Amino acid sequence: MSVISNIQDQMVFYQSWIKNYQNIIKMPLRHGPIQTFQNVNKYPWLWHLAKVNRLLTMVTNGRQGNYRKANAAVVEKIVPNLMHILDNLVHDTDRLVLHEDMVPPEILFAMGLKTWMSELLGILMPIVDSHSVEKYIDIAENAGIPPDVCSLPKSTMGVILNKEVPPVKAILTSNSPCDGGMASYQLIKNKLDIPMFQLDAPYNFYNDRAIDYFANELKRMIDWLEIHTPGKMDWDHLRVICDERNKMAAYELELWESIRQRPAPLAAEAIYLSHLWCFNVTPGDPSGTELFKYLVELANDNVQKNIAAVPNEKYRTVLWNPPLLHFIDLFSWAEQQYGLTLIIDSMSYNRQPFIDTSTIDSMLRGLAHIIMTGPMARHTRGPAQNYFNDMFYIYTYFDLDMIFVAGHIGCKNTAALNGILREKCRNKGIPLLIIDYDLSDPRVVSHDGIIQQLDRFMENIMNK
Amino acid sequence: MLSQTNNVFKISPKSLLNTAIDNDNIPLGYTCNNVPRMMLNVGKLFPYRVNANGLSSGTELADIYLSQVTCSYTRSILEFAMDDQLEFIQGWIFAAGCDHLRRLYDNVQYILAPKFCHILDVPHKSGHDAITWFSKELHALSNEISEHFQADMSVTNIAQAISVHNDVMQSLQTIANYRKKNSPPFSGTEFHRLMSATWTLPIQFMKPIIERIEKQLPERTCPIDYKVRFLVVSSVVDQSEWIEAIENNGALVVADRYCTGAIPELEICPQTDDPFYDMASHLLQTNACPRMMDTFERRMDLIFQTVQDYHVDGVIISPIKFCDIWGVETTQVMSFLKEKKIPVLRLERDYCFSGEGQLNTRVQAFIEQIIQ
Repeated sequence: MSVISNIQDQMVFYQSWIKNYQNIIKMPLRHGPIQTFQNVNKYPWLWHLAKVNRLLTMVTNGRQGNYRKANAAVVEKIVPNLMHILDNLVHDTDRLVLHEDMVPPEILFAMGLKTWMSELLGILMPIVDSHSVEKYIDIAENAGIPPDVCSLPKSTMGVILNKEVPPVKAILTSNSPCDGGMASYQLIKNKLDIPMFQLDAPYNFYNDRAIDYFANELKRMIDWLEIHTPGKMDWDHLRVICDERNKMAAYELELWESIRQRPAPLAAEAIYLSHLWCFNVTPGDPSGTELFKYLVELANDNVQKNIAAVPNEKYRTVLWNPPLLHFIDLFSWAEQQYGLTLIIDSMSYNRQPFIDTSTIDSMLRGLAHIIMTGPMARHTRGPAQNYFNDMFYIYTYFDLDMIFVAGHIGCKNTAALNGILREKCRNKGIPLLIIDYDLSDPRVVSHDGIIQQLDRFMENIMNK
Repeated sequence: MLSQTNNVFKISPKSLLNTAIDNDNIPLGYTCNNVPRMMLNVGKLFPYRVNANGLSSGTELADIYLSQVTCSYTRSILEFAMDDQLEFIQGWIFAAGCDHLRRLYDNVQYILAPKFCHILDVPHKSGHDAITWFSKELHALSNEISEHFQADMSVTNIAQAISVHNDVMQSLQTIANYRKKNSPPFSGTEFHRLMSATWTLPIQFMKPIIERIEKQLPERTCPIDYKVRFLVVSSVVDQSEWIEAIENNGALVVADRYCTGAIPELEICPQTDDPFYDMASHLLQTNACPRMMDTFERRMDLIFQTVQDYHVDGVIISPIKFCDIWGVETTQVMSFLKEKKIPVLRLERDYCFSGEGQLNTRVQAFIEQIIQ
């Protein structure tokens, strides 16, 4: 790498670093010293979120050129959005609704409501600080929640049991993605003692009957929100949000087309972290569309110049299940160690990217389809074909060399398919690594333990 | 203790099951109470609640497929089936009741590929729209059964099957009501055997057995000199030995709120001119499974009411390990009962009966705690 490129890469990092800190510092300035002190006292997890710029180091480490720029841009999108969400701790709290990550916020935005995604802390905190949710997992377990329940709902319950949740006025949740998540919300409701609406997604949802049923569930949810919150449905606003989401999704499809190529022009966080944040936390935000447009430009630029995101790309993989939250830089390590490139993950891939905004019904049906086929939900609900069809389609479509399954010990739903998966992969000649670990708790399997599993796989299966 | 009793509760389900099959009755296996067993009592068909009674070798094979972190009921069933112990089942009917049962369905289909294998899409709510959805599911199941088994699944036949089912449930409820008495004429173990037989044998086989028991009950005395009366709350309890082990410590299990027990399974199914809607509303609205999202208060009320009606001294809540919905629910049931000052013991267990020594220690300590 030339000295100039090196300097440019350093510049990308520092410019982004400064920009992010400016955004972080603006929040206490907006709230004032007293309110900030009160917030930090009431919500100790703010200290962990204040370290969000660590993410920049993780996602840029070892990455060069456009790949580095792309990953930095993703973090630059997350930081101000996060600070904006944290404003909800103090402003318009009468409009603040706690929603499960499986219930995306488009409708809430269109109703003029403020959102607090209850799993946000459980997802984001271990990303920025590996050990940060252990405290909340322990609180939930000490309250009697079995240790084998998924650590994401456990950490979410822990935050609520420890009374560290913002002053939300209503709860929105669903039966997705799993029984543990679903069951946790009754406890949350009992603890917070506020009204709750639960969406019921059918088991088998790839049909019109299920979409109609779930679209009606959404209608009931809107009616319920109009009764229990100050929010009023603004269908024109919802159309604007959905249109913007569609634009973002169109760019994402372009991005996916580009990463089908060998070597991939972008990879890892530029693909999955961008999707995770923009489609689940801030859908309909024009800055999300701008981010994806920028990612496409960077990818196309690399394609034209025949530059690979990972200079020595040797192996291409998909990561099935949510990313390893407390070890987000695993793939940065794997790129350098083995030339192993994470092309896409199961959470990002979606078979229904667009919403038909022509009528109210078509919007609700589109949203119904998107929610039911949302991240995790479409693979943990329904028959096993939903799981395997997507997996093997992605394997072929993105020209992959292997499949990695993040075998989160708390995800019994997917663990119960491992036997079939092994046999199917064996029959198809696809190398498969099921990483034993816990999604949020590094005490179950340490980073070293995860690396050992990957090392053994590469040595024994890939003969490297 | 049980040797003091006469033999009315001594039922031989295995030999009766063999007789039924020899007489060309067709067992349809089901693994969840969301399956409408009353609908499966048509013609030669009969519902068989799938169990792994007799499994003695662990679940080594099933663990390969379902992993070691799923509920041991599903693993035991898969192991039992892979060991050809459930070959007599002519059709499998699953319900998308919980994650583990859904994955059992996936694995049974993949490994065993039964000729008839159906899964019902069961809503998690109990309102009108959910009932309508589920009644269509039941209708579709009925059509598939009719086509595959050439069974007459007409509305009239199904309505008749519901009537017969209700009659049997009514008789069982009459027997169960004896448990509310100060000195019930049978033990919890005996009642469990009766219920297990009911869920696994053709209804026409059970009717005379139940009638015989009903007649003899006034002549019987309580077989256990008990110190305390227990309500057991759980999911699937197939092994009578587990109930017997509890009772051997000087307790009498007087009420059972679990999938294979009486509460609320003996509730009568309503009957109108739409049997599918009747069954759907019955299954969703009387369902006490924590999988339901809108019945939490009803479930707590049911437990509290049972404690009152059956003069319960203590509650044993016993989730099967790795069951998420029961795992989280148990925490809340414990809080609920503690608030009501009702003694409660949490007893996590495996599906197959094991660890009798530990069980005895915990139950003895619980009994002492109540008596003090």
